[in-house]
Parts: sequence; C-alpha cells; structure tokens
Amino acid sequence: MGVLSSIINGILMGGVYGLLAMGLTLIFGIMKIINFAHGAFLMVAMILSYWLWKIMGLDPYLSIIIIAPLMFLLGYLTQRFTIKPVLDAEKDVREPIGALLLTAGLAVAIENFILMVFGADYLMAKTAYSGASINISSLSISVPRLYAFVTSLVVAFLFYQFLIKTELGRAMRATGQDRGVALLMGINVSKVYSIAFGIGTALAGLAGIVLIPFYYAHPSVGAVFITKAFIIVVLGGLGSVHGALVGGLIIGLIESVAAQYMTATWTAILIYFAFLAFLLLKPSGLFGSRYEW
Amino acid sequence: MFIKRNYKIFLLCITVLLVMLIAGCSGGGKSSGEVKEIKIGNILPLSGSAAPVGKIGQQARDMAVEEINAAGGIKSLGGAKIKMIYADSKGDPATGVAEAERLITQERVALITGAYQSGVTLPATEVAERYKVPFVCPVPSEDVITERGFKYVFRLAEKTTWRNREQVRFIQDMAKKFGTPVKTVALIYENTAWGQGAVKGWEKYLKEAGLKIVLKEPYPANSSDLTPVVLKVKQLKPDVIMMCSYVSDAALLTNTFAEHKVKPLAFIGTSGGFADPVYFKTTGDNSEYFFDISTWEPDVNRPFSKEVNEKFKQKYGYPMNAEAVKAYTAMYVIKDALERAGSLDPEAIRKALAETKLTSGVTQMYASEIIFDESGQMVNAPLIISQFRKINGKMERVTVWPEKEARPGWKPVWPFPGWDK
Repeated sequence: MGVLSSIINGILMGGVYGLLAMGLTLIFGIMKIINFAHGAFLMVAMILSYWLWKIMGLDPYLSIIIIAPLMFLLGYLTQRFTIKPVLDAEKDVREPIGALLLTAGLAVAIENFILMVFGADYLMAKTAYSGASINISSLSISVPRLYAFVTSLVVAFLFYQFLIKTELGRAMRATGQDRGVALLMGINVSKVYSIAFGIGTALAGLAGIVLIPFYYAHPSVGAVFITKAFIIVVLGGLGSVHGALVGGLIIGLIESVAAQYMTATWTAILIYFAFLAFLLLKPSGLFGSRYEW
Repeated sequence: MFIKRNYKIFLLCITVLLVMLIAGCSGGGKSSGEVKEIKIGNILPLSGSAAPVGKIGQQARDMAVEEINAAGGIKSLGGAKIKMIYADSKGDPATGVAEAERLITQERVALITGAYQSGVTLPATEVAERYKVPFVCPVPSEDVITERGFKYVFRLAEKTTWRNREQVRFIQDMAKKFGTPVKTVALIYENTAWGQGAVKGWEKYLKEAGLKIVLKEPYPANSSDLTPVVLKVKQLKPDVIMMCSYVSDAALLTNTFAEHKVKPLAFIGTSGGFADPVYFKTTGDNSEYFFDISTWEPDVNRPFSKEVNEKFKQKYGYPMNAEAVKAYTAMYVIKDALERAGSLDPEAIRKALAETKLTSGVTQMYASEIIFDESGQMVNAPLIISQFRKINGKMERVTVWPEKEARPGWKPVWPFPGWDK
C-alpha cells in the first residue's frame, strides 16, 4: 500500500511539475530563450491567487479566469518591451546571451519587488479541500493534488490541440523550427514570440494556481520548482511539449517512489544523476528532435 | 543585488568605524578614579535577515538596564549606572569578531553580551577570552560554546542537545503517566547542520532511554513535496514522531501528516519553525495537539513572568519571546555579579560571575536557580514543553510540562487524539 500511495503521489506531483515545465519548454522551443524568470512568474501567480482568495474569497481554481489572462498579458508585455529590444540588438550575434541574462535579472527584480510589497511571509490558500484526502483502506490520495493533476492534464491537452490544430499554433511551431523561413512565409515572428512568451507565462501561472491550495507562496518559492522544471525540460527534450509532461511524471515518480527506499536527500541526488545521465546518453531528451512537434 | 547592497553597507560601516576610531582616540584615556558608568558591550544582529530577533534582544536588554539604573545602579560601585553599547554583527562571524575587538580595545567595555547566532558567538568569544574580558551569552545554544575550556565565557542558554534530552525525558514521562508504552521513534529533520546536530542529540538520549529509532529521515528544507517522507513514516507506524524543521517545511510536514492521517502517540517539534507565528497561520487546526519544546512561554507558571512580559508589551507593543527573556535575565545576572565584584577589574567580574547563585528576583521568570558550572555553562537550563491547543477558535501554545510550570488548569493531551476533530 505504501508503494501504491507513493506512486499515486508521484504521478500527481509529476503532473504539476510537467505543467510548469511545459511553459518553459514552449518558450525555449519557439524563442530559443532559456527563461530564468519562469519561477518568478509562478510565484507571482501564486501570490495573486492567494490574495484573490484571501480578500474576495475566490477559490484558486475560479481565479484562473482572472489570473491566466493577466499572466498572459504580463508575459506578452515582458517580451514586447524587455526581451524584444535585446533580441533585436543581438540579431547578428552568433550566440545571443543577452536575453538569458535579462530573464535572470527579471527574476531577481520581480522577486525583490514582491518581497518589498507583500513581505516574506509564507502564504497558503486554506480552501475547503486543502488537507482533504480520499481514503481507500490505508491508501490516501490528497484531494488538492488530485485537482492539480487533473487540471494540469486538461491544460496540457488543450494546449497541445492549440499547437497542432490552430493557425496560430502552426505559426508558432513554424517559427520554432526556422525563424527565417517563417518570416519569409509571412509570419509576424515578433508577434508570435510575444504570444509564445505570454502563453508560457500563463502556463507558469496555472501551475502556481494549482499549487496554492497545498504549497506555500513566498518571494523565492520559484527556486524550489524551477530547478526541477529545467531538469524536466532537458529530460523530455528541449522544446517538446509532451516531453515536458512525461518528464514531469518521471521526475515526480522518482522523487516519490525512490524516497520509500532511501532518504529524501538521496532522491534529490538521484534526480540529478538521472539528469546527468540523460545529458550524457541522449542530450536531445526523450522526445526532443530538433524539428519534431 | 544583495552583494551590492552589502558592499555599500560595508563601505558605510568602514566610514563609520573610522570616524569612531578618530573620535575614540581623542576622547579616551580617563579610566582611573571613581566609576561613574559601567560600559557593557552588546554584539547583536541588528541588520540583515536576523535583524528582528536582534532588535527584540536589544529592547529586552534596554528595559532591564533602565530598571537597574532607575533603582540606583550598581550600589557597590557608588551607584554607577550601566551604559549599553550596541554593535551590529549583521549575523556575520567576521563582523562579530571585528566588533568584539572594537568594543574591547576602543570602547573599553567591562564585559560583553551576545551574539544571538552560535556562528558569531564562537569566534567573538575567542576574542574576549584572549583579552580576558567576560562574555555572557544569553541565547546561542551550540554545545561547543562552553566546551572549549574558556574561563571568561558564561552561557545562560541551554545546550542544543539538552533540548533533545528533555524531549526524550518528556516522552518517557508521558508513556509512564498515561500507560502508553513508547517503543519506536521516527526522526525527521531538515538536512543542515542544525537538523544533523539534533539527530546526534536524539540518538544519544533515545539510546540511553532504550527507545528504538525506526527511521532517520533527513530532507532538504526547500522540498517541493514532503509526501514521500510522510508516506514512509506512515508505513513504519512509529509510536512517536520527532521533528526538527524550519517554518515552511514544518508547516508542509504538518499538513501532509494531516492529509495522510498519520497517527502516532505524539508529534514533537524542536522549536525553530514550530515556534514561528507563521506556523499557526499556515497549518490552522492541523497542528492541534502537536508538542514543541522551548525555555519560556508567555503562559509559563513562573514568578515575575506575567508582570515583566506585560511591562514589555506596554513598552514595545508586542510580547517577549524566549530569546528576549534570556537577554533580560542576563542583564540581572550581570548586575548581580557587578554588585558582588565591587570593581571593574575583569578578573573580579569573572570571579563574581562564576560564583553566581541567583535564587530570587526577576530572574525567576527564566529559572528558579541560576548557577554556572566550571565551564561557564548554566546548570539546568529550564526547558518546557508546550502543546498546541485551539482555544476560542485560535491556536495557542499551552505550557503543559513540567507539571509545576504548566499553565494552571491545563494538562497534556496524550496520546494524539487523531485527525477527526
């Protein structure tokens, strides 16, 4: 029963990790930018969601209607007014690193801004289902994690359909595959970038919202999750959306199941070993081929 | 960003230090003759992440000194007044050392108190020992502080491992009192020096008590999920679960235990995160019936405790904490020693401190008897266990053990009644 419980828990957490990694991998796949501010965006959404719940009594899952578009806008504007100028300036640089440094700087700026405005307190939305669990004999399944997992799956499915089926989704994939050709085919690359960054940020926001009923928001909460998200992105294949989800599930499972046989500090080491092994043996990750989608 | 700001602060400090040095040089040099004031140096973290605790330590000291001076100062020294000189360690060992040096050589203080963090206290006390200036440590608890054979270092706080010892004694006492034999214990701790130190203490005392450790589980304090740890504990069904955690992980553990309805005889915390006010905010009812260890609680049944805390609240707007009580008590211990020394000679003060035997007065709020052993460690630092109880819809820490110091009318609830409350 213990193993079954931990497998279930691993899958549930893995879904959330996957959701967070999806946004990161999307931004990388299309813009070729490693977004270090992803964790900061996650944190912003967590804190927004908390305060909406605290002040208006809005359930975090309902606050998606407000926060998701807001996060999209935040991402869109961030790309339009901060990253785009840097990308434009580095257009002819062979290995543009400016954008990467910019996102790292953004992360620090956002975290400190939130620290200043909201303080360093630990915040968690204690909803009716926080701490609730479904118990089947000795098996217990955490309800908020279950909701988080289901939401992650639904979002992943919708997002995938969007990428595959819609005109905009195709334009995004095309831009990711070859920016120059996409431009020649009449795609407004700059706009696609802004939309991709917006969607990526909204995905981080969604991950934050599903976390807030059971995990604490504080200005540096991004750091807790972001390293895992990076590992998942590499594991699943840079730029691969379903790779991110599968990678998330794998990491979640390793973390949860392995901890039953060794101490929790060792599972962290194990995850990094898996990461190193992947880099060594299959650097493109599980589903990562350059032009796949 | 941090580095940059620190750098600026550093520059500022250097400037200030230089100015002080110059001022100090021109103004010093009148040490002989009758004593008008007694300078006491205090090293505290007054900026940086530990600034709030440094501040409350400063306020507690100031309140004690105001009282002492208002009551006529040190009578054996002709009513000399105590003058407090504060030095900011920023929680940084190197700064602490530099400040100790400055207090001794520039300010020419009679003795030093401090320095909140064990990491700062360890090197700072070395400086004091070298200059043969008495150093009173009210708060830092690292065992080794009083285990280096120093002559001029006195500690009012308990040693870290004493907490573990008292926790084990509490378990045994409860097991006997309620007829619920305790055989197995699970240890869950954050994986830094603090948690690892706690484990060493637990292992020692649990072994002595004949209890079996069925699980030793370290975890990284910034874990994204502690369910794996909780599930593991649930499998093993230990009689008692002991934890050493910071606040976010303490809360995460508590809530995850609730989710999975883990039900031992008792959950016992080791201060730290469990004593943080944020802990109640983030766990709500889930923490009800958990135990925690400390040296002082606002409700503890000791003489003067209520009165002094009430005065402090009036003065500063919030209640004291255990650290503040230790700092406050330390000033009275120093006052007592100065009275008996009757001189500012460091050797006389050291001797007086070593001969301390305080069994009456406001120091009762901390301990009924204050004596130092030959290592300068206070004997029998008073540890108490409190239980988290919901009173009128609000979570409170209720002192329940030892019995004579418990909140009147309250008894420990043992075993843990379960999650369906």
